[in-house]
Amino acid sequence: MHDICFEDVSVGQDIPTVVKGPMSTAHIMRWSAAMENWHRIHYDWKFATEHDKLPDVMINGSWKQHVLIQLLTDYAGERGWLWKIGFQFRGMNVPGDLLTAWGQVAATELRGDYGVVRLNIGLRNDKAAEGTPGTATVVLPRRGGPAVPYPFDPACLGPAA
Amino acid sequence: MRVNYITDDVKAMIGAHNGPILAYHPVEASEVRRFFQAIMDPAPRYWDEAWAKTSRYGGLVAPPAFPPLAFRRAPTDPDPLGHMEEPDFDGMVRSFRGLPAVQVPLPRLLNGGYEYEFFRYARVGERIYRSSTYLDIYQRDGRSGPMVFVIVADMFTTDDNVPLITATTTTILR
Repeated sequence: MHDICFEDVSVGQDIPTVVKGPMSTAHIMRWSAAMENWHRIHYDWKFATEHDKLPDVMINGSWKQHVLIQLLTDYAGERGWLWKIGFQFRGMNVPGDLLTAWGQVAATELRGDYGVVRLNIGLRNDKAAEGTPGTATVVLPRRGGPAVPYPFDPACLGPAA
Repeated sequence: MRVNYITDDVKAMIGAHNGPILAYHPVEASEVRRFFQAIMDPAPRYWDEAWAKTSRYGGLVAPPAFPPLAFRRAPTDPDPLGHMEEPDFDGMVRSFRGLPAVQVPLPRLLNGGYEYEFFRYARVGERIYRSSTYLDIYQRDGRSGPMVFVIVADMFTTDDNVPLITATTTTILR
């Protein structure tokens, strides 16, 4: 497990991607069962395509969110913290899609003993279709400095600039 | 002709609040296992007890966005599959988080996205509470017809009101 420091980060940098798939109906079923989601568009092809006029059964947004979250928890490591994340499900994903979560550093800021990193993030399929644009904020330790406090309290950052 | 789904009754629901509501059971190791296996995230904080005990978490934890999905059906709750013979029933209720049902006669529902602020992971064995508010309900008219956006803000805590995460969820009725 890597331990990234704020000094390792620069604006425009791409962070390591997370890739999942190709996704199948079995992946969708496993997730829907794990979270007890009974929405028919995830397992009832006839209902999804005829009633809801969708192209196929849908990969759950509630599942896709975790790919983006893993992208950032992997990036922050065990000494940093994923503070905020937000994204919109603008594109649909269906069985067969290979999904890649990506992030690019948009801004950096030193606050107190820690570095705050803002990123643009997204989830694209193997046809290069971007479907889940978003942003995130990660807090990182400085090289040789203390780990980001856990539980995380934004007050540790001091006042915003 | 444009149909306005944001009636006075729907507008009156904005700001409706409930909670804190306690999840039916504490965080279980088995549900965390099924959860991280389904999302295919092998981080040791979710499964390696020896590692987790010596980590900053003090024990096994659930993935960051687990709390919103921790509210399981209690034995006395209605069976969500009880209406599956109805051709328009999509498996989802319109009373989000147990708040009053959004009375909008649009038959289709999609997940529009999330915003989260994370403070702490939920640990295995901990209890989770949820407080929810209808933050906004509004209509947009797109190429495929009218869409109603239902925005719910949630705060998830554990015992002693210790914050876990906040969430803002967008659900689209169309």
